[in-house]
Amino acid sequence: MQASTLRACGLATVALTLVALPTGCASTQTAPSDRNASLAAIGDGTLAPGRYDLVVRGMSCPKCISNVDLQLKRIDGVGEPKVDMKNGVVAITVRDGSAPSRAAVATAISDAGFTLTEIREVPR
Amino acid sequence: MSPRFAGCALLVVAATPAFAQEMLNMPAATAPSPGVAIPRVQARAYLFEDSQWLLEQTLRLEYGIARDLSVSADLPFFQGFFDPPRPSDGEFGLGDLELNLELRVLREDLNAIDTVRASVFAGAELPTGTNGFGGDSVDPFAGAVVTAIVGRHGLDASARYTFVTGDGLFLPIFASDTPDDFANLDLGYAFRMFPEEYGEERVGAWYATLELNTTWTVGGEHEVLLSPGLLLEAPSYALEFGLQVPLSEERVNAPELRLGLLLGLRLIF
Repeated sequence: MQASTLRACGLATVALTLVALPTGCASTQTAPSDRNASLAAIGDGTLAPGRYDLVVRGMSCPKCISNVDLQLKRIDGVGEPKVDMKNGVVAITVRDGSAPSRAAVATAISDAGFTLTEIREVPR
Repeated sequence: MSPRFAGCALLVVAATPAFAQEMLNMPAATAPSPGVAIPRVQARAYLFEDSQWLLEQTLRLEYGIARDLSVSADLPFFQGFFDPPRPSDGEFGLGDLELNLELRVLREDLNAIDTVRASVFAGAELPTGTNGFGGDSVDPFAGAVVTAIVGRHGLDASARYTFVTGDGLFLPIFASDTPDDFANLDLGYAFRMFPEEYGEERVGAWYATLELNTTWTVGGEHEVLLSPGLLLEAPSYALEFGLQVPLSEERVNAPELRLGLLLGLRLIF
């Protein structure tokens, strides 16, 4: 590989990175468009006590289960999540006396690194 | 392996939660969640010409700053069994500390399993090395990595360029130890052998991995390594086993690499 080619590739990579980093940092601190779209699809308000299926995209490995567990358990009132990776469904229970917001659930899934597309209430 | 190195490795491995769904020898467009810190360790053994050896253990601490922004620090420890004047008789030393800021610029989750992610990163290698295992300068770097997972198949591609501002190692071991700027270009493929399909149970997954890890210096030196591996990934831990076989080497004043071995344990919380 020619030295000049290598240097040019390196400089291009650095330039792209320097442009992307501050732009991306700003967007992560506000609210990225995908997050807004996800929140809009999930709706606002709170979840009443009961069972729910969260339809999630992008859970591609066993470690994803740990990430989802970790983030959902941070929400007050959300019980032990059960992940069905094949169908992309995370089953949760909202405990009596709790009312976690839909936005908090969507944020937790997004923070875990995945995309929440729907919250389905499971009939009792 | 000396009792000192083995003890250090055991202690760190036993206390180490880490990150998974990554290739063994290259970056991935993955990141910890905001507010989550993830330590990780990898131990390697390299066999060079004339029965010379190098043991390496790298400790990594990664921290999620925001949803798509993370910072990491990598600190390698070395133990050399080279012929003098390189580190010999198990001489122990620190390598250069590497600080890295990574930003995920793309996350496209296509369905339950499939996803495409891309990150850019930038950072610097700091001259913390001792006993001939580190450089003498702050060397900035930048790069990008793409990770795609489609069904049972995973693909990673990354490029990184490092500006070497000093003289490199007094006695180079790898191509990246020279005083010249260098680029790392890596390709990786992972195939999920088991399970064929995920179910509702929490099961581990076995992956076969194959990477092409390359280093190219502006001075004309290079290393091209073929790296097959096995990765067992469960929700709470991962085991990794890997080889690195040189396909092509062009280096000056450095021992010829014959084989690299990798054994890793990651505990995931």
